[in-house]
Amino acid sequence: MENISISLSESDQDRVSEVRVDGVIDTTTAGELEEVMDSLLKRDRYRVVLDLAGVDYISSAGWGIFISHIKEVRANDGDIKLANMITNVYEIYELLEFDKVLKVYSSVDAAREDFPATSGHQSKKKASRSRN
Amino acid sequence: MECMFRRPIKEVNAEFIAEEKYLDSLQRTVRETCVSAGLSRRDVTAVHLAIEEGATNIIRHAYLYEKGTIRLRVVVYKKLIVFSLIDAGRSFQPEGAGRVDLERLVASGRKGGLGFYMIQKIMDSVEYISAAGFNELRMIKRIAPARPESRPFLRRLFTLRVKFSFWTFLSVLVIIGGAYYYIDRRTSQYLYDHLDDTVSSLAHTIAAQAALHAINHRSHVEFDELIVSYLQSNPELQLIVLTDSSGLILAHSEDIHNIRKPYKIPAFVSTAELGVPQRYRVNGQQYSYLMTPIRAGEVEIGLVHVSYSSAQIHDKLTRARWRIGVLTLVLLFFGIIGIYFLSNYFVRPIVNITRRVRRFASGDLETELPLEGAEEFFEISRAFNEMITRLSRDRKNIVAREKMAKEIEVASQIQKTLLPLELPSVPGLELDGYYRAAAIVGGDLYDVFAISPERYCITVADVSGKGVPASLVMSMLRTVIQIQSANAVSAKETLIKVNDYFEKNIPPGMFITVMLVIYESARREINFVSAGHNPMLLYKAGEGEVVRINPAGMPLGMPTTLGPAFEERLEEVQFTMEEGDAFFIFTDGITEAANREGQQYGIDRLINLFAAEMARSARLEISSLSKAIISELDDFSGFVKPADDITFIVVRSQPPESTAGMDLPPDSEEREIETKSVKNPGPEPTETN
Repeated sequence: MENISISLSESDQDRVSEVRVDGVIDTTTAGELEEVMDSLLKRDRYRVVLDLAGVDYISSAGWGIFISHIKEVRANDGDIKLANMITNVYEIYELLEFDKVLKVYSSVDAAREDFPATSGHQSKKKASRSRN
Repeated sequence: MECMFRRPIKEVNAEFIAEEKYLDSLQRTVRETCVSAGLSRRDVTAVHLAIEEGATNIIRHAYLYEKGTIRLRVVVYKKLIVFSLIDAGRSFQPEGAGRVDLERLVASGRKGGLGFYMIQKIMDSVEYISAAGFNELRMIKRIAPARPESRPFLRRLFTLRVKFSFWTFLSVLVIIGGAYYYIDRRTSQYLYDHLDDTVSSLAHTIAAQAALHAINHRSHVEFDELIVSYLQSNPELQLIVLTDSSGLILAHSEDIHNIRKPYKIPAFVSTAELGVPQRYRVNGQQYSYLMTPIRAGEVEIGLVHVSYSSAQIHDKLTRARWRIGVLTLVLLFFGIIGIYFLSNYFVRPIVNITRRVRRFASGDLETELPLEGAEEFFEISRAFNEMITRLSRDRKNIVAREKMAKEIEVASQIQKTLLPLELPSVPGLELDGYYRAAAIVGGDLYDVFAISPERYCITVADVSGKGVPASLVMSMLRTVIQIQSANAVSAKETLIKVNDYFEKNIPPGMFITVMLVIYESARREINFVSAGHNPMLLYKAGEGEVVRINPAGMPLGMPTTLGPAFEERLEEVQFTMEEGDAFFIFTDGITEAANREGQQYGIDRLINLFAAEMARSARLEISSLSKAIISELDDFSGFVKPADDITFIVVRSQPPESTAGMDLPPDSEEREIETKSVKNPGPEPTETN
């Protein structure tokens, strides 16, 4: 099957975690990304920017990760922001009307800057994590 | 059963095993059909996604990952495609029965239903039908014509037809205009000349009659009657004056009171030019003035002055020009319409070609232009067909090559997962393994694993050939060795069992050489067999020597008809690992590594190197030894690409802390150790390589 590679870089300054994904996010590879997301949320890191420049294809398993977490993330003053989508992926994103739910940015920096400046207090985990 | 009003253009039926690994080929079928049906690139990707959701759902929920098949039917109509995924598993009720709402999905924080939401969003119509033990997910996608890049309106207005009509119109206009101008000039010149001639002859006649009157001494009244009668019958004449030789008026058409008085010739008239019409203008009207002498014999006795106007001719000409102009415009108007439709005739082949090219662009690689029409279009069609043929051939090649590269990559990844990432720690031994594939996928194997806490298996093998087939056999081999070693008491028994398996299952023409070592940690005892493999290099710390041990044995997978049975030929060797002893097992990629001159590295160099390095690195990590071997090999072969995989394992019995390394001469002696056969010794130890 196709491969996926995920690299994570976390900044303590603006509390943003940047997840760079390369490859294809489908049923067979979505598990890895899910683990990364879970580990971030478990550590109260709710500001996530996904760099999708190297992603050729996202199946429902992939979109599902974003859609299923967005509520919890937003409830904790965070967001999942998608950056650098290639045209193919963006067209699907638009077609499926995910633009109503997830924000896209033309670059990681633009996504980063769109987070409000961190105030002194770190938001505590409020919503209980629903797993199925 | 499809109640579409049109007949289907194409129907594809295929059946796939309901497993995720077969999704790719299902998708390929869908994709190819979509592309040839002219679906836009975006829609093809979207359909891909919807089909993936549908098929994954069948595998997971309808069949619960159990055996089953998915039937795919794709029916292409002119303006839509109907996709059906049919299964014989459990039927499922789509969540919420009806349209899935994105907001509710987000609110639920779950992933269920997202797939169905996506299908609904992508497809124009979705139906789920369960009947007679079959479930059908029927999805309809409208074929939206791929939107061409928009061009400015003005540019689009200038089609070939319009341009053609415009230029034709313009050239016809210029030709007609030129011809008209020429004819008009000629005609009007003729008319004016004709008028001059007419008036001139009139003037002569008047002069002749006046001469007669003068000779007969007629009265002024008769002169007057003469000019009045001419004036009345010739409307173009404006004025007639008769004068005698001394310039006195004999008759005047406008003034009868000045008879016998001198006639004042208008200022613009030159009296010198008799008989020539002189033009003048009054109030914008053009007039001509002509003087003709009245002669009696040879004697000039007076003058006839005539003034006449060309207004009538001018009026006639103007009217004629208008008529011709209007007529020309009407004719041109119909002409243009005619030209426009005529141009269709020329443009139609271009339109045809465009349509075909577009079909080709939308993925129908089979399309061909009919070789017909005018020579020019015939040539274009032929050139286009040639291009298509070449392109589709190249494309097929590229697709095939990409597929192959992908498969090899997959195989290479699988292979990497099959080779041990890290060698296990074996009590009393230091181990290091090395593997470098010559191709992306190699056929060599090395493996170290624990059979039980006291028994370990160390093995190196070389599958004949390279590439995917070799790597597949190699992965099979690794599994079989791991399984069989658990049930066998010795290396020999293990390998016999392994051979039993491969005898039946190896592809014809392929064979494997194996070095299989079993180490018993309690007694530090080694027993090993070699199925036609390169010798083992054994370093005896006590003597500081390297010996090569090469027990008899045939490669796995050799036809048994060629000689004695495999187990009869197989010799087992046993020895005990003293402290500091080491052995080196490898594949022929090392000894056959060649340098630029074509020289092989050879076993002698290897033995010397091994002996020297063992002596030198007695107190160093075992990995430094393998590094030394690799760098020596690389130095030897330079930049020559290795022809075969390079694999080795080096094993050293851990020296007690106190034991120091011994100094040894680098050129250690080598000798063949006496092999100790357990039973049925073969005729002679064979040397591979």
